[in-house]
Amino acid sequence: MTRKVLTFLFVLAFALPVFAADYPAQNITGVVQWGAGGGTDSLMRPLSAIAEQILGKSIIIQNMTGATGSIATQYVFDAPADGYTLLMGAENPALYDILEISELTYSNFDCVYLIGDEVVGIVVGKNSKYKSFKEIIDAALKAPWTIKISTTGTGGLPWEVGAFITDITGAFFNQIPYDSDASAKTAVMNGECDFTVCKVQSGIEDWKAGDLKFLCMLSTKTVEVMPDVPLVTAEYPDFAKYLPWGPFYGIFVKKGTDPSVIAKLSEAFTKAGPQESYQKVLSNFNINFLGYSGEAADKYISSWRENTVNALKKSGALD
Amino acid sequence: MEALSHMAVILREPWLIALVAAGTCAGIYVGAIPGLSGTMAVSLLVSFTFGWEQHSALAVMVGVYVGSVFGGSRSAILLNIPGAPAAVATALDGYALAKQGRAGEAMGLATSQSVIGTLLGVLALATCAPLVAGIARNFHSIDYLMLSLMGLMMVGSLSGRSVRFGLIAGCIGIFLGCVGVDGQTAVKRFTFNIVYLNSGVDYVVAMIGLFGASEALSQITDMKATPVKQKVDKILPSWAESLKYLGLTIKSSIIGVLVGALPGAGGDIAALLSYDQAKRSVKKPSAPFGKGAVEGIIAPESANNAAIGGAFIPMLTLGIPGDAVTAVLISALTIQGLRPGPNLISQTPDLFWLIVASLLVASFFLLVFGLTGIKAFTKIVEVPKGILMPTILILSVIGAYAIRNSVYDILWMFGFGIIGYFLKRFNYPIAPIVLGVILTRLCEENYRRGVMLQGGSVMGMLGSIFTSYISIALFVLLVVLFVTQTESYKHWQAKRRGEK
Repeated sequence: MTRKVLTFLFVLAFALPVFAADYPAQNITGVVQWGAGGGTDSLMRPLSAIAEQILGKSIIIQNMTGATGSIATQYVFDAPADGYTLLMGAENPALYDILEISELTYSNFDCVYLIGDEVVGIVVGKNSKYKSFKEIIDAALKAPWTIKISTTGTGGLPWEVGAFITDITGAFFNQIPYDSDASAKTAVMNGECDFTVCKVQSGIEDWKAGDLKFLCMLSTKTVEVMPDVPLVTAEYPDFAKYLPWGPFYGIFVKKGTDPSVIAKLSEAFTKAGPQESYQKVLSNFNINFLGYSGEAADKYISSWRENTVNALKKSGALD
Repeated sequence: MEALSHMAVILREPWLIALVAAGTCAGIYVGAIPGLSGTMAVSLLVSFTFGWEQHSALAVMVGVYVGSVFGGSRSAILLNIPGAPAAVATALDGYALAKQGRAGEAMGLATSQSVIGTLLGVLALATCAPLVAGIARNFHSIDYLMLSLMGLMMVGSLSGRSVRFGLIAGCIGIFLGCVGVDGQTAVKRFTFNIVYLNSGVDYVVAMIGLFGASEALSQITDMKATPVKQKVDKILPSWAESLKYLGLTIKSSIIGVLVGALPGAGGDIAALLSYDQAKRSVKKPSAPFGKGAVEGIIAPESANNAAIGGAFIPMLTLGIPGDAVTAVLISALTIQGLRPGPNLISQTPDLFWLIVASLLVASFFLLVFGLTGIKAFTKIVEVPKGILMPTILILSVIGAYAIRNSVYDILWMFGFGIIGYFLKRFNYPIAPIVLGVILTRLCEENYRRGVMLQGGSVMGMLGSIFTSYISIALFVLLVVLFVTQTESYKHWQAKRRGEK
């Protein structure tokens, strides 16, 4: 029995490098942790379409939604670490353990390619009586818990930014959770809520039409498409310590995957990302292109997590 | 005039017509297989058509969308297995008709009603999109709550012989709808620390199990029954008959457009609500509802197809998806370099009218494909059970797995199949379970949101009804629907009729 196992291990030891050298020998599955047609999905599909030509094998996209993306994360973690199952995700898993959604986080995965991140801003409806971010904060300081911010639920983007705001300004809000960023945005437009936090991507068309007003941007530099919208640091310079901050998108494999396989994947995506047709997709979605892999990607994600967790703790959103 | 010239694009490029036709045909089959959905097919097309030019990509997607909404009725009528949640209501009377040997007539009726529903939906999209979009945008949390309560009241309509049994089934559905991570607070409910339970019970899985697997199980245990010989001579309803039901068709289509346009509710809820409406308003149905009333096919089938036009309204005018398929279409447009949002129509009017034209062409091909295949389809019912039932079970497994690529969903599906089998044996109705699973989230989340918006006051939430016209109208409707169901009202009605 022991001999059998040893022989098996021996063969495996020789076979693995061969496998890695041949990688990819079969089609690759890309598991997207958000629904078809969502922001994450829309960024992954066109990128995979280019990368699969470089890899020479198809990347088959599967959407596995549910529980803030933790179902997909668990699925990829349960699959073998052979580089044939990729996790295509957004920033959410970086906080799973903190939010007690799952025990897995991005530290259980290696980042193959970090595509980019986005800028978010504070928005109100067109008929809102608040003309600046400071007016909202002042109103909230005067009457805590009465100003309504529409969120996408605990752990979502407006919830996170709400914690930053509370940490820096000391203002508390009545958080109203909605099921998607589209409905959180609609709630601000129809006056059900006072303000929300919105990605440039999802608010830009309503802003152009005059239905939404961006009061300020959580960014260190002016957003090109909205040059007149001030930065949050103009009114609250303390915000600088959290910036730049925004949702990010990346492609991951389970920890323990052969480094040469990771290198091959990173190489393919690094070639695919800067191509003109994909850059056009990114600019359509107003994504800041990063194109990190390896150490740069790890550093980005760990400092993102550190900043976010600090703010959540200070604001009392987390114990 | 400008509109006509934009729409004529589709005539100048026969290629587009061919794409719509191909999409519609493929959509019908995708829709007919439980678990394969229009959403899935359209999202596959997003990657597939990434390199295409916009018009071709849109044409084929619109075709698939229309076809898939209709396709769900096929399996509902023939096998009592709705191909999609929007066809749950169709199964109630459609399958009853098939058991009487009138499957051909039922499918013909479903086809013609789906075509008329699609056309009325397109009409609404083309003529009163801004109006409907305004209503949809001003739908507040309390309004969604009232809509979901109206939905829950349908337990009465779906109960069959006993309301008590219906209520029990509805409660099972509501309980199952609670499983999973709560979207608002991220608290886990009934998940027992199993990660795969975090995302809860998918109502399509529930539907496949309760209808598909349980039907196969109960037929297998009753192998002696011979298949019903189907009549296929009378497929198209006569003009006189269509005219007779025109009022119901129009009413159901209006419900379809309005509910379809609401971002939180789609064709499935539209179909159920209009079935309920038909059951209340039709005084003398051709047969009792649930036992093969043609009105029970007309209402949901026209409503779920009218919901297509409805779902396009917020998507094209506001950039907010009306349902799951239009959500995917928004991303397809963005990838293609367009900017869905309030300016889409003014910036790219050609696109708006191309969608309208594609919908019209799709409804034409729906008529063609829907009617030509009927004779072949009826043969499905006559297939020996030894072959048919295992096939259904296999399809149920594939369908359950396909939704989220999760093995756990197959287990859920079988669980539901077994529950459904026993419920059927003891004459409990099944549809209220699906209703409960579908409506739980809509109802609960909007209730909680409504209370939170008023700083935690339930009375405040009730008071907020009287701050908007939409809320008041819905509230009046809700009260009327409730009162007319009570025993004392029925008693009073009977007495009044007796005095005349």
